[in-house]
Amino acid sequence: MNADKMHFVVIDDSKLDCFIAEKVIQNTGRSESVRSFAVASEALDYIKTLPADKKTIVLVDIQMPVMNGFDFLAEFEKNFPQEQRSNFIVNLLSSSINETDQIRAKTFKFVNRFLNKPLTRNALENMLATV
Amino acid sequence: MSKPDKIKVLYIDDEVNNLIGFKATFRIDYNVITAASADEGLEMLEKHPDVKVILCDQRMPHKTGVQFFEEITTSYPAPVRMLLTGYTDIESVINAINKGHIFRYITKPWQETDIRSAIEEGYKYFVTTSMLNVKNEELQKAYDELDKFAYSVTHDMRGPILSSLGAIELAKSSEDLNEVKEVLDMMEKALTRMDAFIQSMHEYYNIKRGELQIQEIDFDGLVEELTELFTVGARLDQTRFDIRLQQEAPFRSDALTLKIILNNLLSNAFKYQKKDGDSKFVELEINVSATGAVIYVRDNGIGIDEAHVSDIFNMFYRATSENVGSGFGLYNVKDALRKLNGSIQVNSKPQQGSEFKVEIPSK
Repeated sequence: MNADKMHFVVIDDSKLDCFIAEKVIQNTGRSESVRSFAVASEALDYIKTLPADKKTIVLVDIQMPVMNGFDFLAEFEKNFPQEQRSNFIVNLLSSSINETDQIRAKTFKFVNRFLNKPLTRNALENMLATV
Repeated sequence: MSKPDKIKVLYIDDEVNNLIGFKATFRIDYNVITAASADEGLEMLEKHPDVKVILCDQRMPHKTGVQFFEEITTSYPAPVRMLLTGYTDIESVINAINKGHIFRYITKPWQETDIRSAIEEGYKYFVTTSMLNVKNEELQKAYDELDKFAYSVTHDMRGPILSSLGAIELAKSSEDLNEVKEVLDMMEKALTRMDAFIQSMHEYYNIKRGELQIQEIDFDGLVEELTELFTVGARLDQTRFDIRLQQEAPFRSDALTLKIILNNLLSNAFKYQKKDGDSKFVELEINVSATGAVIYVRDNGIGIDEAHVSDIFNMFYRATSENVGSGFGLYNVKDALRKLNGSIQVNSKPQQGSEFKVEIPSK
């Protein structure tokens, strides 16, 4: 198993969920850096500045004010052409049990997984094992 | 004397004598307008959108009655249609019923009682159909809101529960007491927010389904209550809270609905203050005159971006990530005002503050 360290970006308007995700990520010992954002557009600006030497894991919530998770995915798609995207592993992390959200998530081909809240160490390690 | 509630009937016939005779017979009981051709009939419909019943002769030059009715099926679907003809031509009857959505078929020469009963029956049908349409629209709106509700319940109610479950999991595996306490604080906030959401839902239900109880409003008492409710929080946040009340006439309204409006506007004004702003204030100004109440809620908080102003009254809309709202408050305010026949205007500049102006007529 590849145990390289990675950058992590968490995007969620709930401070508690950001906190939980940060802790769970740190507990895996795989993080080179962890940053969390309540505003999706700020996360996008930050991602643009990340060095390309390591993989970046993005965890983004769906329901957020102003720019929601799907808006974020659309912006991400626009800003990063396909060849640049391989370094980014984008996952949705949501409390949604709404089928239309799941279907809509599938329309973004580059979305790696639809993770359910709350984020657990098991679920995160399972995901990391596949990337 | 013209009675405004007389049924408006349009009669179309190319024989002018028939038109005159019809008008003479029925103008006492109905509001009768006539047209001598299908084209003229169309003009009449344009001019009189409140026509409830149309009677049209079948045999007319240029355009038959059936063709006329067929033509107006989509442009004027509401009026009830009746076809008059001297020819017992079964083909045209079948055509009329299938293509023109005809309510009645009346043979010529017509009997006064036949026409009268046809108009009465037709009008009843018209009223029932329009009421059904209104109900269907209301039902559709209720369904749409239910959809939004179902979606929001997963997020706004399941969200805090899942957050808390995640936090518990984290706290269980932590050896650091300070970290556990930090997690508990955050859980407390998440659950408090969920409780506020449930209370807003309760308000929503009260506004939607509750009956108005109109009584004279005791503004002095209301102001006292609001002062008590907001002063402590205001002091903690170092925000000045000013209330001005000027009442020249008694004011009658529903106290609970009025309270929901003021509570929501004020709690927003306090909630959306700048985090480290200087001389923060919230102002409530109430002016009551004989015509009604004009209420201003002003603050010098974070304000609202122009792009979001038109959306802030929508259900579950949240214009900012700062300080999490339920997305319910202003929707409830607008709904409450609709119930009191009131109105609301917003004047806001980002980083400078907002002013909400509410006008409510006295009942």
